[in-house]
Amino acid sequence: MAKILAVDDSASMRQMVSFTLQGAGFDVVEAADGQEALDKAKSGPVDLVLSDVNMPVMDGITLIKNLRELPDYKFTPILMLTTESAAGKKSEGKQAGATGWIVKPFNPDQLLNTIKKVLG
Amino acid sequence: MSANPEYSSPTHPQPKALEGFGSINRYWDKRMGLYAAKILPGEFYVSTHGEMIVTVLGSCVSACVRDRVNGVGGMNHFMLPAQHESANVNPDFTGAARYGNWAMEYLINAVLKNGGIRKNLEVKLFGGGRVLSGKGQMDVGKQNIEFILHYLDQENISVAVQDLGGMFPRKVLYFPDTGSVKVRKLKTTTNNVVFEREESYAKTINSTPTQGDIELF
Repeated sequence: MAKILAVDDSASMRQMVSFTLQGAGFDVVEAADGQEALDKAKSGPVDLVLSDVNMPVMDGITLIKNLRELPDYKFTPILMLTTESAAGKKSEGKQAGATGWIVKPFNPDQLLNTIKKVLG
Repeated sequence: MSANPEYSSPTHPQPKALEGFGSINRYWDKRMGLYAAKILPGEFYVSTHGEMIVTVLGSCVSACVRDRVNGVGGMNHFMLPAQHESANVNPDFTGAARYGNWAMEYLINAVLKNGGIRKNLEVKLFGGGRVLSGKGQMDVGKQNIEFILHYLDQENISVAVQDLGGMFPRKVLYFPDTGSVKVRKLKTTTNNVVFEREESYAKTINSTPTQGDIELF
């Protein structure tokens, strides 16, 4: 089953996302900020990254940019799961190389459908 | 307390609301002599410039969250929607928990986005009264209290002050620049506005599944 890297600075959000993904059979690796996510992505391949935007140490947009510079992550789906719904932030994410933008709160079925769609 | 004549008109121009808070009801408070923002069920407000945030709570809960070092802070006002999932679902992962989580995250993120730092956060909690009882309803206030305490525990954020539960609605005045709070228990509510607002809010969150937009680029 596909491995998903779930990135969020909120512990309860990470737990909630992991619960949803694991319930659908995905393997989940968690990270609390962009830097931790980048380190984990480098240390072993993941099939999809699901990341928050506003986080300490390294934010989600910077994480996308850093991932897209790595040959292994040039085409990996990166979905942002965020409280940010402003068009400006969204287009920043798009430009950085995000695959899609999901505004919180998430509906578990919709989240899983979107993930399955971008995993192809 | 009567209005101080010195404050009958604003002493300075109203500061601009932070991005995203343009729709919040803001006004000059003649009694306190400062600008205030009044939030309704489902709303939240964050300020960086010495405003007062006001709300009236029945069974809803308000979290007052601020960075105790640089003074940016705000308040939300929410309740959890009724539980539809079966009883054997872990309460951490229900739709109700997702809703509460979202209400807290929006507030915390807005504080962080405007200069707050997570480790400096100071949280004060109010509300969750058992004020809608007697109508054969479950204790909505208690459910809200259990959620917020558990959420903050999970997030490893300690609670500086709490005034939760009880029989009476509360009026809460919050000063995010200093963290000071004034709470008044409304022992004689002359009108039912508090209950009506909460009930209409409850109807909204129970009838519309709350979920954000999804866009694939």
